[in-house]
Amino acid sequence: MSRIDLTVEVCGLAGDGTIAAGGLINEAMSLGNYFVLGFDSYPAEIRGFGRCVTRSRIGDDEILALDDETHVLISLDDEQSISRVPYLAHDAVIIFDNKPPGYVEEARSLVAHLEAGARLYGIPLTDLATAAAGTPRGKNLTALGAFAGVYGASPELFRYVITKKFEPKGEKVLTANLKSFDAGYEYALAQFADHLVPTFYSSVEGIREDKVMLSGNLAIGFAALDADLKLYFGYPITPATPIMEFLAKKLPSQGGKVVQMEDEISSIAAVLGANHAGARAMTATSGPGFALMTELIGLGVMAEIPAVILNAQRGGPSTGLPTKTEQSDLHSAVYGGTGDSPRIVIAPTTVAECYTYTLKSFQYAEKYQTPVVVLTDFYLDNRVENVPKPIASPEDTERWNIAPDPAGKGSYLRFENTASGISPRSYPGQEGFNFTASGLEHTETGSPDYTPNIHMKMTAKRYRKIQSALTDLPRPEVFYDEDHLAVGVVGWGSSFGSILEAVKRAREKGLSVAALKVTSIYPYHAEEIRSFMVKCEDVLFPELNFSGQLANLMGHLSSRTPYRINEVTGVPLSPRMIFANIKKIIEAGTR
Amino acid sequence: MPEQRCVIIGNGPAANEAAITLRENAPDMRITIIGAERSGHYRAYLLPDFVCGKVAEESLYVHPPAFYRERNLHLRLGQSVVNIDFHACKITLDHKEVLTYDGLVLAVGSKPRIPEPLLIFEDLMLTLKTVRDAHIWRERLTEVDSALIIGGDLTSLSFANALLTMGKQVKFMLNEDSFWPVRCTEKILSEASEKLRAKGVDVILSNKIKGIAQEKDDRFHVETNARNFHIGLIGAFFGLRPNVKFLAKTGVLLEKGILVDKYLRTGFENVYAAGDCAQVYHPEFKDYWVSIGYRNARNLGRTAALNLLGGKFQADVAAKNIFEVDGIVVNTSWWTEF
Repeated sequence: MSRIDLTVEVCGLAGDGTIAAGGLINEAMSLGNYFVLGFDSYPAEIRGFGRCVTRSRIGDDEILALDDETHVLISLDDEQSISRVPYLAHDAVIIFDNKPPGYVEEARSLVAHLEAGARLYGIPLTDLATAAAGTPRGKNLTALGAFAGVYGASPELFRYVITKKFEPKGEKVLTANLKSFDAGYEYALAQFADHLVPTFYSSVEGIREDKVMLSGNLAIGFAALDADLKLYFGYPITPATPIMEFLAKKLPSQGGKVVQMEDEISSIAAVLGANHAGARAMTATSGPGFALMTELIGLGVMAEIPAVILNAQRGGPSTGLPTKTEQSDLHSAVYGGTGDSPRIVIAPTTVAECYTYTLKSFQYAEKYQTPVVVLTDFYLDNRVENVPKPIASPEDTERWNIAPDPAGKGSYLRFENTASGISPRSYPGQEGFNFTASGLEHTETGSPDYTPNIHMKMTAKRYRKIQSALTDLPRPEVFYDEDHLAVGVVGWGSSFGSILEAVKRAREKGLSVAALKVTSIYPYHAEEIRSFMVKCEDVLFPELNFSGQLANLMGHLSSRTPYRINEVTGVPLSPRMIFANIKKIIEAGTR
Repeated sequence: MPEQRCVIIGNGPAANEAAITLRENAPDMRITIIGAERSGHYRAYLLPDFVCGKVAEESLYVHPPAFYRERNLHLRLGQSVVNIDFHACKITLDHKEVLTYDGLVLAVGSKPRIPEPLLIFEDLMLTLKTVRDAHIWRERLTEVDSALIIGGDLTSLSFANALLTMGKQVKFMLNEDSFWPVRCTEKILSEASEKLRAKGVDVILSNKIKGIAQEKDDRFHVETNARNFHIGLIGAFFGLRPNVKFLAKTGVLLEKGILVDKYLRTGFENVYAAGDCAQVYHPEFKDYWVSIGYRNARNLGRTAALNLLGGKFQADVAAKNIFEVDGIVVNTSWWTEF
């Protein structure tokens, strides 16, 4: 059986049920035991207006990234869908409403903009939905029915997820939606009997719920709950807001609180205060909010206070591109702020890693008494993947270094200059242990002191502490390792999936290529990264930023000037484009 | 007509030749081809060979989609025209889209003709005009060992051969309606019968079907005024008729097809017709004539395109193609047979 690898887009105007339809496809296909990666895009200004697009890549093998081409476009609004035409495969299937309420001029007709080779499946979506349920509102479900019919997907999967979604809204709503779905399904089978594209298994053995559809943001939220988060302080900002919304619903039931602060400065201040007092606390923001936080992150570094700060990157600088993805806060995360202020920066690459590394960040923050920045981005936060249900192991939830050894009472040094740089932690209320938290440079006791040797010694201590975290932080991971490689591609964050897919394609073409995933951005495992680069004739850093921020940080480890791909298009990196660059580097030969 | 918009309705040989000619002569023109079928432009004369498995489906198609993309020809498949407002130069498509045009070529082709007395049996008979028809024949032929061909047209003789190569028993019912619209002379009838019988075809010279009963999916009982028999499938091959019904209320002059002058002009400015949907006036004979066949269609398509671009070329009344199967010769341009 040939591989299933299908990218499906739903495009419509806000209010058409576009996002809901895309979500139902993801859920249904996930229950059918397919691998799914979905990503929604919606207008920056206000949700409720403008174009909405969902993209779902469905396959019977692991999905690493969004595909460059869309194979199926389900149009709920022709005029909006025209913008999707450049992304269509030449033989794309187009499911559209062929009996819209009014006549449309060519300039506003999707069909008029398609290229030769597109396969049309015109369905009277509005009429069918109205006839089935008495309202055209269910035309998105009718379109899903048509999709299931044309592609041979089990209607039972769709009926199951529709029921799950609409049952809480009452019998009437549920019935209307099921009827709307069935109308599209039956119409497609009857009208396109000669043009069906049976791709999926038409029946499944039961409904599988061993995997769950999670977005990066939800995974972060679940991780925070499993980490026994007590306090969340934040100020809403795209694309981090869903974390706050999720925790606002869930955290109180486990004894925690979400507090919406007046801005990001007060949010980080409150997080530092809570952690200083011994409670696990976090905040989530995006680039502009993170910029405001940098002064107080410096306080966290200087006063050695744990904090978990999630920076969900988006296009910048300033307000920038609020609903577009970018990886341009790496410099800001690593270096942002005053003075030498080392902190841990970690960047998950998948939804599953969003869970894993958010959970671990609380331990890193406590053990190393430092702010930990978790760097995600719009693409990672909003994309959904079906992942095994995340379950925290006991060691993942264990609390590290939260109190000093009672035997040290009396000789306790809050900022003891240890070999590892890690000092015993204390917090207010612990009798016999001081709990200084000052932004001023200080001695091991915490007393202010700006003498040259103290500042030298304590700065070195703080750097040493962060370097010692390397033993706990995730090591760089090589994919397709060999003794000698023509090109080594180094990536981080949400782009890594695209990189790995490009490398897989290159290897299928016989090219000597490997990928290196760097998750711990700072500190980083320099020797391991260097030993990978030594094996590569050339090194390539594809990044979603203009200045090549990871390459700037780690490129010096390569004996040759690395190649870079730097895109700030607001959309995820294209595996095809990365592959083309790999090929070009190899074809260019030795420099 | 530089930087203007030409629409070609149809996706057969006349339509495609018109599009290519327009592009060659008007690099900036926006050219749209609208085809009702989902399939690309195919060689209809190869359908019998496709049915019997002699050629692959890919070989049927004349141009891949990339051909159109490379030439910036906007090909729209599976889209039906439901109305044309020749005064406002607007075309309405089935999916409620409205297009405007500066120039229009009607190359809408034709569809299988079933003679009036046989219309009652229409649902029991297969035709062979489109790729979809061919797929249906292929599928159904796997279930039967015999087929009856009624009528006789450009396709039927080669289709009979195709069926024979598949090991099927073939009955061929010939009468004076055969080879319509070509007048079926005694000579043609006799030659055809002789050739077919020599190949093992059971020729039935009968001018009337008295009744057809479907006994099972793959078994029909047929009664003719010559004899009665059982058969697995029935194919109707009575030629084609122009596919112009949708133009009935548009004001364009129709008879059986679209009536055009010797320059292929309809009565509307910048609107031309070409291919086997056009009935071309010949001033010398004072009557309309029609051409069928692949090469004739292409010639007419080219002429229409050149005239749309300002040329003044007469449609070539000389037959460009002599249809010949097994030595049976039929001229494919004719007068008065309609």
